[in-house]
Amino acid sequence: MPHLIAISGPSGSGKTTWISQFLKDQSTPQYYVCPGLGEISVDLARMGYRFPSVQVVPEAQLKTVLADLPEQATLYLEWGFHLDLGSPFLAELPWERVAVLPPDLAESDWHGWADRVILGNAVVAPANGCLPEIWCTPLTGQVFDPPSLDDLLIELTGGAYGQVCRMKGIFELPDGRAFYVDFVDGLPGREYTELAIPRWLSGRPDRFSGIEVAGYGLNREVIAQTLMDSALSDAALAQYQQHYQSLHPSEEAISV
Amino acid sequence: MKLAVMSCIHGNYEALNAVLSDIDAQKADQIYCLGDLVGYGPYPNAVVEMIRSLDIPTCQGCWDEDIVEGLNACDCSYPSQLAEKRGHLAHEWTNQAIHPEVREYLASLPMTLREGNLCFVHGSPNSQHEYLLPTMDGFAALERVLAAEADVLFCGHTHIPYLRELENGTLSVKVQQPGQSETHREFTAPLKRIINAGSVGEPRHGRPNATYVLYDTDSTQVTLREVPYDYEKTCAAIIEQGLPPIFAWRLARGMEFAERAEDAGHVCER
Repeated sequence: MPHLIAISGPSGSGKTTWISQFLKDQSTPQYYVCPGLGEISVDLARMGYRFPSVQVVPEAQLKTVLADLPEQATLYLEWGFHLDLGSPFLAELPWERVAVLPPDLAESDWHGWADRVILGNAVVAPANGCLPEIWCTPLTGQVFDPPSLDDLLIELTGGAYGQVCRMKGIFELPDGRAFYVDFVDGLPGREYTELAIPRWLSGRPDRFSGIEVAGYGLNREVIAQTLMDSALSDAALAQYQQHYQSLHPSEEAISV
Repeated sequence: MKLAVMSCIHGNYEALNAVLSDIDAQKADQIYCLGDLVGYGPYPNAVVEMIRSLDIPTCQGCWDEDIVEGLNACDCSYPSQLAEKRGHLAHEWTNQAIHPEVREYLASLPMTLREGNLCFVHGSPNSQHEYLLPTMDGFAALERVLAAEADVLFCGHTHIPYLRELENGTLSVKVQQPGQSETHREFTAPLKRIINAGSVGEPRHGRPNATYVLYDTDSTQVTLREVPYDYEKTCAAIIEQGLPPIFAWRLARGMEFAERAEDAGHVCER
């Protein structure tokens, strides 16, 4: 029988990190799904890039995949902080329930829900009934001016556009690389991780990039406008790509 | 004689008032201003009127020049595409807000001011747009001071105050001409100083406080002054006047509205 594991906890507690340690194992089929944010989420895309052997499952295909899981398979369901722990979907199947929680959190709905508790990052869990709002948008095809993106992320995570508890995104840069950027309020700095995927050096990248922000009082319109102000025009991108193509002629790069 | 030297007010009237009060308390005999009276901040006219009413000798900054000449600095003078867009918004707003007589006054400002062995510029003796950073190559820094034919060069533009001493610089020059033997010459330059006044209205040192410098011409003592003021009033005015609210957020953190270009030595070609 397939092993079904549902993982929940507050934003930034370390759910994805906890799951990642098991996804390196290629001896049995592994599946990963992260419902609640539409067809493709930052986590789903990142897991797909990071663990090519793992089957990442878009939300719409979850029921189909569940109905046809191989016997030896393990499916990890990352159940976001904003989703209902009492959902009938969770009640229908024999999930092993894991809560990744901050060490200081002694009592919560997650404690009552989970079969086992894993101690995660020391983030501040939201008070009951005071969950942060989530804003997300795909950025596929957008390539960012690096210093503009840096300014934008400093301002966004510093509270210029509302109080941000969590930010994660995948951003394309003009040298063809893509970066995963992660910020958790209460943990030091922002983490930048280069994704192990080929440089995209011809035209606009036709692979997922996007941003997810959790927080309070988010000024979505200004965040979106600032993102667009930081993205390169066709002409600027072409100029950059011409430059980088000459610097990396022998590297494997995606061209369309 | 005690001189007070200030720069980069950027339409921040609250900060200017606080600095003028501090200068008064420090009993300075003469004030010099190194330009950038306007740009980004909400009170460009009031700042210029105050400077004029006090008859403060002032040289022209890059923003003062752009308001007079039109925005024709090349895009390389901005550190990022985002900063460039914001800079253009600030330029358009200031261009609309400014009174004709203020524009005329800005147009009349000189590039440099002199007082004995002292020279006052906004960026460098070469350009209002050139940054004299404290990390600038020593030879280049000495060249800038020698070009100004001064012993002490006062500048602004970087928005971070500093004092740099170029002690007894020796320049060695080898000249090889066709058909002649190599000649070797040495020039010795006496102590030269570069004094950056920081910024009154748009600090970039991580705190919102205004900065300026005091210089005693008798003792040559330099004092960097940091002056707290009610920056929240300026932040509120930025928003009330319809300037981008992000300017207020950055001002409150001493982050400057738009940081300097990555290539700090870049000089716009017009």
